[in-house]
Amino acid sequence: MLRYILNRTLRSILTVVIVFVTVFMLLRFMPLNGYFTDEMLKVSDEQTRMAYLRNQGLLDPPFSQLWRFVKNLFAGDLGRSLTVYPKVPITILLCEKIPVTAAFGAASLVLGMTLGLLMGMFMARYKERLGDTLGTFYVVFVRAVPSLIYLFFIQVWVSGVLKLPLVFYEDRPESWILPTICLSLGSIAWYAIWLRRFMVDEENRDYVKFAMVKGLSKKYVLRRHLFKNAIIPIAIYLPSDILFIISGSLIIESLYAIPGTGGLLTKAIQKQDNNLVQVIVLMYAILSVLGVFLGDLLVAFVDPRIRLTEDEG
Amino acid sequence: MKRTVSLFLAIVLLASLACACQGPASDPGVQPTDGVPSGTGAGEAQPTPPEQAEPLEYVDLYKTYFTSEYPSLNYYTTVYGGVRGLAANCVEALVEPDEYGLYQPAMALSWESNEDCTVWTFHLREGVEWVDHQGNPTGMKVTAQDYVDAVRYVGDPLNGAYSLRVVRDLIEGLYDYYWGLDDIDSGTDTTTVRADLVASFDETVGVKALDEYTVQYTLSASAPYFLSLIEGSMLLLPCEYSYVTEMGEDFGIDNQHMLYCGAYYLSTFERDKKIVMTANPHYWDKDSVTIRSIEQQRLGDTMTTLEMFKRGEIDECVVESEEYSSLLGTEWEKYLAPNSFSSSTNYLWLDFGSDNPEFNAFIHNENFRKALQHSIDRESIAYLREPVTPSRLVRNTIIAETLIYDDRGVDYTDYPGLAEIKATDYYDAGKARAYMEAAVAELCDASGSILGVDAATVDMLPVAQFDVDGKLPVTLLYVGTDDEAEILMAQLLEVMIEEAIGADLIDVQLAFATGGFYSTVADPLNYDVYYDSLSVPYGDPGSQLSRLTSDGAENVGYYEVPEYDALIEQALMESDIQKRYALFAQAEAYLVNGAYVIPFISSLRGYYMTRIEPYTGPLMQFGSIKYKGMRVSAQILTADQLAAISSAYEEKKADRLSGN
Repeated sequence: MLRYILNRTLRSILTVVIVFVTVFMLLRFMPLNGYFTDEMLKVSDEQTRMAYLRNQGLLDPPFSQLWRFVKNLFAGDLGRSLTVYPKVPITILLCEKIPVTAAFGAASLVLGMTLGLLMGMFMARYKERLGDTLGTFYVVFVRAVPSLIYLFFIQVWVSGVLKLPLVFYEDRPESWILPTICLSLGSIAWYAIWLRRFMVDEENRDYVKFAMVKGLSKKYVLRRHLFKNAIIPIAIYLPSDILFIISGSLIIESLYAIPGTGGLLTKAIQKQDNNLVQVIVLMYAILSVLGVFLGDLLVAFVDPRIRLTEDEG
Repeated sequence: MKRTVSLFLAIVLLASLACACQGPASDPGVQPTDGVPSGTGAGEAQPTPPEQAEPLEYVDLYKTYFTSEYPSLNYYTTVYGGVRGLAANCVEALVEPDEYGLYQPAMALSWESNEDCTVWTFHLREGVEWVDHQGNPTGMKVTAQDYVDAVRYVGDPLNGAYSLRVVRDLIEGLYDYYWGLDDIDSGTDTTTVRADLVASFDETVGVKALDEYTVQYTLSASAPYFLSLIEGSMLLLPCEYSYVTEMGEDFGIDNQHMLYCGAYYLSTFERDKKIVMTANPHYWDKDSVTIRSIEQQRLGDTMTTLEMFKRGEIDECVVESEEYSSLLGTEWEKYLAPNSFSSSTNYLWLDFGSDNPEFNAFIHNENFRKALQHSIDRESIAYLREPVTPSRLVRNTIIAETLIYDDRGVDYTDYPGLAEIKATDYYDAGKARAYMEAAVAELCDASGSILGVDAATVDMLPVAQFDVDGKLPVTLLYVGTDDEAEILMAQLLEVMIEEAIGADLIDVQLAFATGGFYSTVADPLNYDVYYDSLSVPYGDPGSQLSRLTSDGAENVGYYEVPEYDALIEQALMESDIQKRYALFAQAEAYLVNGAYVIPFISSLRGYYMTRIEPYTGPLMQFGSIKYKGMRVSAQILTADQLAAISSAYEEKKADRLSGN
């Protein structure tokens, strides 16, 4: 097991390094005009723009920029934003934004998992009956209809009916409710449909038939045997889901004016903020490989049949 | 067991909601809101529109919103208008306009200039202190040196000042100082020591502190407009240099890393979320500050502003034309007031070096340009933005009307040449056709082939690629953005140009670009015609017209009009206001009459609803809004009330400008 962890850690580090260096180098091939807004291009001449770029270190050779970044990284300095939040230290930005997004993400994950798993169990229990049909309709609706439509409806209409604020105010607890619910709509559907699917699959297994023949009630089998086995393929994603609560939602954070990380990477790419892009990519790359890694460990933990290395078998 | 599970699930759900209701554990961006008066939030008590009430009752809290980020508060380097708005209220300029646009003392008690307006001397008030983000005095006085140091700061290329060109080129010696430093930084100049050049600033650059409270600017050209430049440019705001140097790159990263000497200080700055400006208790003119607290809430977009206004969460909102019709016949109709003015003008830019050989053959012909000029139904385009009275958006001049006045109170656009253009109704399909036929007669043979033009494939990728056959109709590529409103406008332009001139003579093709329009379309000349808008940055016609000369920065179509250039050069050297404006008017009329650019409407759009009593604060025509003196009504103002206030104001303004 220890060897597996060590081996996997090294491979994960290698993956992160490859992803990061690739993105870092690609960013240096972007056109120089991308560092400026239309407004800046209009009011400045070529010479002034070059002076600006040189002073930001953007005209230095790519490898020298990479070396500088790595050196500063190990000194705990993530650098400063270039264009999205000019001169603001990226550490400060992340410290401001991640806690807000993480709070919403954690709440919506708990809500989404709870309601989603309950709904999945319910749909599997009453397969092809009204409850299952309604659940399927919900899942299809959430997945097929462009989210902006129902999210905007919830924001304007539901907030009016329930007398809730239209946007998020940190000092008004009731303003947290709608964004949290909106954030969890997708994950409720996801957990529900996958749990239903795995539970229905498990239903046809011999051990279930055997248990039923033994005279156990369907409810008992569902809860004690089916759920435990059906949750395993879903559990593999749990570490990633937990780690990525910090990634935020572009649409919901925009609608409810939540100052989180949602859309930060998109904005940084659009405005060619190299420093910010490379830090976020590095962060997400680490979270991704860590999520997959922890997912594998978790599955091995919850299902004793799974062995991660040959010699364990 | 069933009860246990139910209880567990209930607890999980409650925990989830409780978690949602908690703030982040630690958020260094969140600042205390000490000293923010609670005010009597108008919206909190007014979920439904109140009836008209006289006289108006006022509150001391103003709730508004912003949609773009406040990425950094460094007012010297920011490209964001919102930050300039904060700076205008938090850092005191030397002068400020009154409610009629006439300049009054601010940090400067008095000022004078020499005869040709190349030397301006300001005498500052004494005893004003910089305060911190909690409104506490820092012990540092605002002195003449702070205004000198502002120029020192922006004059260093390492600091990356934004929109530096005007100030850099105007203040004597600053141009050479800036490029001298840049040569050293880039390695072009290896003999000069940077520290030596920096030390020479006080001798070589035309800004000096004559004593502790007297600052003098020496300019490289006559600038009778200098006071309006102070209003419009953030680069002439003061800074406490020792503080700024100590902060280094951290200067302005949030409200705790800057100092204040204006009517307000930033008591709260939650990045991308909320900003609170609180009245500065140590402001020199604190009795004139009527709004004690201004709360700005970030919104992701403007879709919800109308609803937020209705619920009293903000005190003013813009009503777009589609929202306008939804409010007609409702209780809100009486509050709908038309926006009255925009100094920004929309133009059609023409590419004089087009890769499209057909268009290139015609664009240098004045008859063709005039055909285009007369084919555009300005009111129909304006209707897309203002369905009720579109005519008020029509603008034929480059410089906006009622914006720049001479010393007799005469509007610049009423000067000879421009007055006629202003009064002209250019849309005339008959004239458009006649001009086009004249152009065709000069540029085509009898069979309709364009002289000197062969069939070709025009490559304007990534915007468009199309074939031309070298024959009539002339192909014209109009390029717009993929914004829905702009697509509609482009389609309308296509129809009206082809109908007025005739589809047998002109073929308008449309293309739409995404992303950075300037870098994709304008700069690489991937267009024949496109539309853009420009504002006047300070109170001189030259501020805009000098950028439209043959080698001007805004001449994106690369026309060459030596007659215009000569008139502008002459006007820029003239210090007598009336003569100066007459020359500018002559130049502008030349450019518009020759249809080198085609101004057609102002950027004015839509309606608004408000609790702000208009014309109660400084009339900031070139800078950002200032809240000092502004009054917020407890009730929403009706359109009738606003019209009555506006009418009385216009009368007074006319008197004040004419010196009565």
